Amino acid sequence: MVNPVLLIIIPLAGAFAIPLFGFISKHISKYISLISTLAMAVIVGFLVPQVINNPIIVLIGGFKPPFGINLVVSPFSLFFAGVISLLGFLVSIYAIKYIYEGDVEKYHLLFLLFITGATGVVLTGDIFNLFVFFEILCISSYALVAYNRDKDGVEAGIKYLIQGSVGSSFILIGIALLYGLCGSLNMADIASQIHSVNSPLLSLALVLFLTGFGIEGAIFPLNAWLPDAHASAPSTISAVLSGFAIEVGVYAVVRFVWTIFGALSMLHFLAGLGVLTLLVGELVAFRQNRIKRMLAYSSIGQIGLIVFAFGIASVAGVKGALFQIASHAMAKALLFLAAGYMIYRAGSKDISSLEGMGRRMPFTSLAFTVGAFSLVGFPPFVGFSSKFLVIKAALAEGQLIFAILIGFVLLGTIIEGSYFLKVIQTIYFKGGEDSSNKRIEAPICALIPMFILLILIVVVGVYPGLISSVLDSAASGFLDRIQYIKTVLVGI
Amino acid sequence: MEFIENYMYYIASFGLILIGLYIMLVKKNLIKIIIGLSIIDTGVNILLISVGYLKEGTAPIFSREGLLPSRMVDPVPQALVLTAIVIGVAILALALTLAIVLYRHYGTLNVRKIRNLKW
Repeated sequence: MVNPVLLIIIPLAGAFAIPLFGFISKHISKYISLISTLAMAVIVGFLVPQVINNPIIVLIGGFKPPFGINLVVSPFSLFFAGVISLLGFLVSIYAIKYIYEGDVEKYHLLFLLFITGATGVVLTGDIFNLFVFFEILCISSYALVAYNRDKDGVEAGIKYLIQGSVGSSFILIGIALLYGLCGSLNMADIASQIHSVNSPLLSLALVLFLTGFGIEGAIFPLNAWLPDAHASAPSTISAVLSGFAIEVGVYAVVRFVWTIFGALSMLHFLAGLGVLTLLVGELVAFRQNRIKRMLAYSSIGQIGLIVFAFGIASVAGVKGALFQIASHAMAKALLFLAAGYMIYRAGSKDISSLEGMGRRMPFTSLAFTVGAFSLVGFPPFVGFSSKFLVIKAALAEGQLIFAILIGFVLLGTIIEGSYFLKVIQTIYFKGGEDSSNKRIEAPICALIPMFILLILIVVVGVYPGLISSVLDSAASGFLDRIQYIKTVLVGI
Repeated sequence: MEFIENYMYYIASFGLILIGLYIMLVKKNLIKIIIGLSIIDTGVNILLISVGYLKEGTAPIFSREGLLPSRMVDPVPQALVLTAIVIGVAILALALTLAIVLYRHYGTLNVRKIRNLKW
């Protein structure tokens, strides 16, 4: 049996091994991040069949819960860990050639710490431990956004840092209040006694958690940092920030609202907030004329859809949300990775400078097109199945409010379709034949991850059954609070 | 009077948090904003400590006769604060580093003038 704690140890050890190996050669660092993330993906693959029936509880230091720190590897957590490790692996293949300026070692070190933080947040069963991993995730992402040290990057980095660290302080205040009320830091222990606590401070703590994690999750109106940070970071970092960092924020929000607080009354509010986030993101994305900024706003829109689906809070809804997370991670990573080399070849971030890219970089353009179609939700790509699931789950609730919200979601999708089609039109049909436009495809290290993502999008889109059994058990496991508490505290 | 005596630490910590938030919202100088951040951190740390504080409490070690568990200070918040301080230092260091690089690019620390990216 593989110990799930390796999922945290491997990237952490890799990160600290990088400066040591740096004494031998500066080029080893990129392969260390490649190997660590690959090892994580393999471990997740080994754990899936074990975890799918009953979650694994790992006691750190041998202390039984509620004392000590424990990891709770449920299908829900493992699904996130899988997305993180797979995307991390693909992005580190891409980074071999793409990241060549500056301190390459430091990039890979921070990247591995970033992966450590994200994995830790989704696996841990202790709120303070969650906070610590969350801070690892945030601090390394502040530094990575500013990695290029250019004007835009540093400005975006400091904006992100200030907003994010206020959010972290809120989370810490929330933890202090919750500890004062319940006398425990273990999620299951708090969840078991939260309904017997009767104090106005409890709702204050919930609001603080919602705000703090909402900043990282970019839920409207806490999303001011996102477009700058995602647009100014190196494209590999934009891909992982959009691909799983904001989803980790949403994970923390739903974990707190649902598992710990059991706040059913908040869920309709979350659904409404999700739709608002979706509309704002899509509407602003529509009028952007820089490609990465447009993609960043579109991420806000997608996060809105995910939050909305979690707000439905039925098994089908959570399943749709998880499917949407997977499909967004694949499609948005593909889009950012494709845009990375398109921007590099065009020498400008403007959409108008991408004219004629369809002839200059045919495969990259194809990858971009597939990613965009999947994100909008055209069948046979994976985005269609995920959006379909979300809408089906919302209609199955049979409430008028959800029918109205669905209308707004579909409106958002139409706007999304229009701006993505505009970019695709620019790539393929604008700009005359020009002899200077020679075919220069992206390097092979960049093409491999794009190709894998493209295949995944098509294959999972055609056979959604491939991952639906994992999603089913993740969704039903997540919604069963009582079972979660029992599994952790009693061990059944 | 008794109210203040009982809740002195909570009042102080929330006072510090609110002062820090006020500084961050109102001040235009980036260094001052970062100082505000640091004040919030301090306030949160005091809040954490005061959650487990007991007046005339003892260390949670049975070192001599007559020590009762009910008189012992809760050690968990202190461990948390230790971690929180380290995290706070990391954020502060990174923020100041970014402020230095920002100053090199723009020649100013006024956040109203640093607006290369549209809000």
